[in-house]
Amino acid sequence: MKLDDIRHNIDLIDSKILKLLNDRFEQGLLAKRFKDKIEDPKREKEVMERIKNNANALVESDFSTGIYKNILTESKRLQGKSLVIIGFQGEHGAYSEEAVRHYDSNFVTIPCTTFNEVFEGVNSGTYDYGIVPVENTLGGVVGPVNELLINTDLQIIGAIDMPVHHCLLMVPGTDHRDIREVYSHSQALAQCRRFLSRNNLTPVPYYDTAGAARMIAEKQPRGCACIAGKLSAELYNLEILKENIEDLSSNRTRFLLLSKQPHEDGGTKCTITFTTEHKAGTLFSVLELFASSGINLTRIESIPNEPGDYSFFLDFDGSIKDPKIMDTLEKAEKQTSGFKILGCYSEKVVGH
Amino acid sequence: MDNLKLAKLREDGKRTTIKIGDIVIGEDFVVIAGPCGVESEEQTVETAKAVREGGGMMFRGGAYKPRTSPYDFQGLGLQGLKILEKARATTGLPIVTEVIDPRDVSWVCEFADILQIGARNMQNFSLLKEVGRAGKPVLLKRGMYSTLKEWLNCAEYILAEGNMDVMLCERGIRTFETYTRNTLDLSMIPAIRELSHLPVLIDPSHGTGKLSLIEKMCFAAIAAGADGLLLEVHINPCEAKSDADQQFNPQQFALLMQKIQKLQKFMQEKVFNSSIISGDL
Repeated sequence: MKLDDIRHNIDLIDSKILKLLNDRFEQGLLAKRFKDKIEDPKREKEVMERIKNNANALVESDFSTGIYKNILTESKRLQGKSLVIIGFQGEHGAYSEEAVRHYDSNFVTIPCTTFNEVFEGVNSGTYDYGIVPVENTLGGVVGPVNELLINTDLQIIGAIDMPVHHCLLMVPGTDHRDIREVYSHSQALAQCRRFLSRNNLTPVPYYDTAGAARMIAEKQPRGCACIAGKLSAELYNLEILKENIEDLSSNRTRFLLLSKQPHEDGGTKCTITFTTEHKAGTLFSVLELFASSGINLTRIESIPNEPGDYSFFLDFDGSIKDPKIMDTLEKAEKQTSGFKILGCYSEKVVGH
Repeated sequence: MDNLKLAKLREDGKRTTIKIGDIVIGEDFVVIAGPCGVESEEQTVETAKAVREGGGMMFRGGAYKPRTSPYDFQGLGLQGLKILEKARATTGLPIVTEVIDPRDVSWVCEFADILQIGARNMQNFSLLKEVGRAGKPVLLKRGMYSTLKEWLNCAEYILAEGNMDVMLCERGIRTFETYTRNTLDLSMIPAIRELSHLPVLIDPSHGTGKLSLIEKMCFAAIAAGADGLLLEVHINPCEAKSDADQQFNPQQFALLMQKIQKLQKFMQEKVFNSSIISGDL
């Protein structure tokens, strides 16, 4: 072992400590949602006791209690700020998080394991908002999200249409010639298939793009790289070997922002969902209403509920405050069941 | 030259053209300019801007440098390729860069528009086969001790692998002359045109190694019918880490380009397109 190796290990540990501190502060912000006051002397005492009794070889209790006093003070300071919390699926650095930054970079992003957790978190008030991907130009619809949307009481309050540019990331200083395996979400791997085969790289599916970046940064497996966004490179201190490695540069994903309350000012785009009777021409008669009112449909999606039974999503241009649209929606509601306005919102198109 | 199949003159007389962006090598007279080596982002991007402003059509710069001594600057490698990509993004100029190792070919392809095989690697057959399988045009420099026959056979190696976008570049050969770095063999231009359909470019920077001689050699190359020139330009030649004595500064390059363009126009007159010996060339 050389001094350089040891220093390298120290740098890795430091970055882990900072990541863990960030995780801790995130949990602190969530805890605030369940408390009336920031101050909770009883809980603070508990935490400090546990720290004091949790002696590690070199970490003496005087030292650790000192640090923890600082941590608790900072955690309380953060709780005191009225920060807006938004949940997203994936690890920090995910494309959903990048989409949030395009919407409002002051939002605090909280990672969730599943899409369901995002919906639940908004529903319970733990998060102010949630963000979920609904469709990708190469990969098609995000099935699980659409199912959740049909059954949710949440409202869509915004949409972000964003280009997805994949990067090949590696631990800084890796010799790129040694790279053999590339970890990423199977979608991302599929979107970079030609790049991988050109360079003789073996794709290895992983549960999440940013998760793959985190794993590569933390475990530093030999001969391995990952595909993730630029944000992941920043967050996990990985080197971008090559940007824009997707086979089609038109790769885009559309994200929806969810909230318990509808968007106050409405917007220029609406999403509705409904089910039609299983009879010839029922869907057509609904669509005809929109056509005869001159309303531009921007997306129509059918999701199977039970065999033979379909729910439909309809996105269209316009505001629900527009009498023409109100009138059309009223008529549509009469012809369908399970009719629901998921939201009227404005859509932000990034980088077109 | 009997064993040439793909590099020899075609029966229909058609010459190879290679389209890169808006430029068609083999039809348009092309000037590829840039520093010998990629030394830093600032040096490279600034030089690329100067090349574009001066009228250069493509940007060259080495990320991997084959050097006489292992202790000389070896190039920035992958970092250099990334800098070249930035230079392209800033200026829009296509990138020409050398590849020296078969293991790097696919990666250099990800960043470059033309792969250069340097003089020292002209007969590196495994490298030639590898670039023959790559989907990028190749600029094949003449080895400093190589005959025309050997050179064309090296082009044949690339063509035989299925890559038809090959251009040749004369950069001077070793002779007993020591005043110049190499002896620029301009007779190769009409010789290649007699024997092959491949475009031929001239590198007078390496061909002479002397700044004061390059200008006139450019004129001679154009008069002899070259398809283009490779010129070394550095934003600050005195500070260059390699080939400091043969790199133009941006002002010199811009002045030279004006003259080149004038002569190039003049040479387009019909009378120069035929040979007094055998008619059309």
